[in-house]
Amino acid sequence: MGLNVPQSMADSLLVRARGGDAAAFAGLVRAHQRSVYSIGWRMLRRRDAAEDLAQDVFLQLYRKLDHIESMEHCGFWLRRVAANLAIDWLRRVPYSATQPLEEGAAVAAPLRDDDPLMSRQLDRLLGELSPAARAVMLLRYQEDLDVADVGAALDMPVNTVKSHIKRSLTQLRSRMIGAKLVDCEVPT
Amino acid sequence: MSENFENELRRALRPIDAPDGFAERVMRALPAQRDREPLPAPEALPTRRLVRRFAVPAAFAAALVVSMLLGQHVADVQRQRTEQQAGLAASRELMEALKVTSQKLDLAYQAVKTPPPPAGDEENRT
Repeated sequence: MGLNVPQSMADSLLVRARGGDAAAFAGLVRAHQRSVYSIGWRMLRRRDAAEDLAQDVFLQLYRKLDHIESMEHCGFWLRRVAANLAIDWLRRVPYSATQPLEEGAAVAAPLRDDDPLMSRQLDRLLGELSPAARAVMLLRYQEDLDVADVGAALDMPVNTVKSHIKRSLTQLRSRMIGAKLVDCEVPT
Repeated sequence: MSENFENELRRALRPIDAPDGFAERVMRALPAQRDREPLPAPEALPTRRLVRRFAVPAAFAAALVVSMLLGQHVADVQRQRTEQQAGLAASRELMEALKVTSQKLDLAYQAVKTPPPPAGDEENRT
């Protein structure tokens, strides 16, 4: 959850939102917007598309509030819908159309206390993975879901999730090493 | 190394803040009246689920019964045919035996009917 709200308060937010309290629903949006927007942004690599996707996800939540059992369920549901909508979006839109977001990355990426170059590099390389693999990596490493939850969110067997993670880690690591070698080359 | 890389990845993939005013824009986009999506009604009768669950075993059992009945019928027909052939062979043998008996009786009859040779002939011979 994005906001540090006690569980009982968070659940009462959900109950009030279900009862039609607009302010409570806005609270729900604020609590989860970071997570949903990040999934959209890292999947689609475009700020406008990410915002549209996140908005769509919250509109769906608004319609399905009666199905949501708890704040925990709400968080899982939002991640699941965001990841699947993003995969669908990438299937509809040609892959090349999602690529040119380097300027967006520079604007949107937060300041980090660790190696910002490496983080940006990893972020960029993640964009080269297939949509399904990217969604798996985001739910696993950005949202910190365990493999079973990632599988449940993406309707994927656990073994498929594991093999996506293994393959993607290998690919990212080798690309990082390659990139570092290129960076270290001294121009003659 | 692997764990370091995964931690690096976690750091690189920290969630990003949504743009300013995002929640307000979502709230403005909400429909005035919430069209509540009805909760999924419980299935009236689990007929379809039952059919789906038992269709394959039932078809398998039916196929098994049909093949058993068919096999039994084929075996009956085969047995009848064998019995018929055995009966025919037995009747052929009986006819043959009757024919042989009849020929023997004919010979015996002929032997009885033929008069014995005269007595003088017998004396001359000795």
